[in-house]
Formats: sequence, C-alpha cells, structure tokens
Amino acid sequence: MSHYDLLFSSRSIWTMLHGIFFGGGSLLGVAAALFALIALRAAPPGDAAAAQSRLIAWLLIGTTLLVWAAVIVGTYVTFPPYRATPPEGVIDLSAYPRSLIRSDPRSAWLHSFAMESKEHIPWIAAMLVTGVSFVATRYRARLLTDDRLRRIAVSLLALAFVLIAGVSFLGVLINKVAPLE
Amino acid sequence: MTTHESSQAIPNGSALAAFTAAGIGAFAMGLISLLDAAGVFAVPALYDPAGGVTGRTTLAVLIWLIAWWILHARWRNRDLEAGRMHTIAILLAVGGIVLALPPVWSLFG
Repeated sequence: MSHYDLLFSSRSIWTMLHGIFFGGGSLLGVAAALFALIALRAAPPGDAAAAQSRLIAWLLIGTTLLVWAAVIVGTYVTFPPYRATPPEGVIDLSAYPRSLIRSDPRSAWLHSFAMESKEHIPWIAAMLVTGVSFVATRYRARLLTDDRLRRIAVSLLALAFVLIAGVSFLGVLINKVAPLE
Repeated sequence: MTTHESSQAIPNGSALAAFTAAGIGAFAMGLISLLDAAGVFAVPALYDPAGGVTGRTTLAVLIWLIAWWILHARWRNRDLEAGRMHTIAILLAVGGIVLALPPVWSLFG
C-alpha cells in the first residue's frame, strides 16, 4: 500500500474529518464562544451589543453543527471499523484497532477507558452546546447583559470544552496506537 | 421594538428550560451507560455495526428532547429563579459525566 493510499483511504479520511475538522472545529468554536461571552459581558445595550450577540449566536449554531457532526460520524462511521471483529486465524490485527489494542495489556486501557468514555461523553457535550446555542439565538443581547443567564451559559460551555478536549486527547492516543488505515 | 428590547422582554423560562434539559440529557446519558455496563438495562442496538452505543445514545437524546419540550412548554412564559436552576443544571451535567466514566461502572458491575 502506497503512502497516498494510507493517507487517503476512506477510513482515514473519515477519521480525519471526525477528529480534526469536526472535533477540532468544535473545540475552536466552543473556545471562541466562551471567550466572547466572558469578554463582552459588559457590553452596553444598543446596536453594538445586538451585532455582537448576533455573531455569537451564529458562532454557536456553527459549533453545534460541528459537535453533532463529530458525534454522529464518530458513532456511525468511524466506530464500526474500529470495533470490527477479525476473522478466525488472522494474526495481523492492524486492520482491527479494538482487537489490536486489547491484545496487549499495556494498551488495553485505551479501549476499556479511552474508547468506552468516547462512546458516550461527546454526546453530553453536544447536548450542552445545543442548549447554550438555543439560548444565544433566542435571547441575543440579553445573554450578554443578563449576568445570571450568561453565567449558566459560560459554565455549560466550559464543561463542554473540557469534555471535547478530553475525548479529543483520548482519540489521539487511540489513533497513535491503532490508527484506522 | 428593537431586537435588544424584544430579547429583554422574553421571560427567562425558556432559557432555563434549555439549560436544565441539557443537564437532564447529560444525566440520562450517564445513567443509561452505567445501567448497561452493570447489566441492569441493555438498550438494543439501532445499527449493528456500531453496536449498543447507538441505542444508548439515541435513548438519551430522546429523553433530552422530551424533557426540553416539556420544560419549555411549562416555563416559556415564566420568569424563574436562575441561581437554583444553574446549580441543578450543573449538578445533573456533572453527575451524568461521572456516571459515564468506565471506572465508575466497575463500582457497580
């Protein structure tokens, strides 16, 4: 198999889309929205606040789409080849990441902890980001001026950021040991 | 009425419904994964190649959306005390995250 085939096999393209484009994009989007909600909290009511809050709402809508794309592609596209069972008698497990990881006690935790966490926790992040995105869209400038609402939004986005960063890091570790090629 | 004035006039109920429902969805995700790991309640797979995770996550998403719909319908015209809802949403979300961690499953399995 050539380097070109390794880089651009459909499995590796989907993995890159899932991890770098959707997952990385989600992380950037949540970080940017968090920064905006904190930095613009003292925005005086008026046209400027309305424009800023409109941009934040669009940023969060885009981020929400990226998070959902990451979890859906991760669950329905990249997870099946990861968990595929090797046929009887196969010795080279490189095409079967889960079996490869579990075959070595030193890497078994990458399935039992890392992948098992990645199966569910990203969905929690997606729900949290969606909730904040809805409020940013419906309440616009009030999300910046109403300190109570802004604090809840910041808390939930901060939680989502930690979750996305954590599962992304675990994904990098899994992909280093048993990449989907 | 400007956009700013109209958003100021909306009661905070629908915002708190969205935040609280996100917490409920998070908690549901954690609880469903724990019950599955403990062998108490296994949700059937919706897509066999991906396994049981498809059923578990779909059920959690349904619970989240139904909770959101109910809370939104009940609270959208009300102004509620946001501090208490903040605590509830965070506790539910953190609880769900903890329950979704495999080391916690081993305590119950």
